[in-house]
Amino acid sequence: MAVGHGDSSSSDKKSTDALTDLQTFNAENLQSNMKVIYYSRTFLSIIGGVIAGILGFKGLIGFVFYFLVMAVTSAALTAKAKFSIHSYFDTWNRVLLDGFFGGLMSFVLFWTYPSRF
Amino acid sequence: MGLGFTVGVIGVLILGHAAYSTIQYRSLLKITEEEFSGPPMEVVLELLVGLLFCMWAALTVPGKFLSVHPHSDENRYVSLCVRLRYSQIYCVVDFTGNTYVTLVRLTVSCLLCI
Repeated sequence: MAVGHGDSSSSDKKSTDALTDLQTFNAENLQSNMKVIYYSRTFLSIIGGVIAGILGFKGLIGFVFYFLVMAVTSAALTAKAKFSIHSYFDTWNRVLLDGFFGGLMSFVLFWTYPSRF
Repeated sequence: MGLGFTVGVIGVLILGHAAYSTIQYRSLLKITEEEFSGPPMEVVLELLVGLLFCMWAALTVPGKFLSVHPHSDENRYVSLCVRLRYSQIYCVVDFTGNTYVTLVRLTVSCLLCI
């Protein structure tokens, strides 16, 4: 990418470059990162459901436990991304919210399953 | 990834043992006709250890995060490869020793470089 000549043209180029950088992502890597988050959340939703079932949680406290597990997962994923989310994702919502409600179904399934025993 | 997978399996086994212990404990409570308020403290500690192991495995086994910036160090090999492909000069030497230099060929072949 050529460097601009002159102050005004260089600043315009820098703002254009910044805009271009914001809009262009390596889509393949972004999708790979999304898959990593999805697998992590799904597995931990299942494990959270098993633990809630063993502890005998009933009613609202089970859902509170699920939100707690997901909050810890979000914090751990943020730490895995070395707290620079914009290097690996386009928005914060990807790390904090993506897969949140998808995992809830798995959690409920494994939470209620041990009650049969 | 191998270590993470092993840790995950150990975590799941610990949780399985905790589940079995809780089932046994509940059977005992049924015999004594007491209400189940929660598993014993040892099982709770076992669950905590199992959760930690599984959490570590869940974060390491799926893989690393890859940078999405097109000009980052991780993606430099790909962009360098594209630049090389755009500016190649082919030299062919025949059996008489004459060298034929083709023109610069512009080829879109970034996919081959990955």
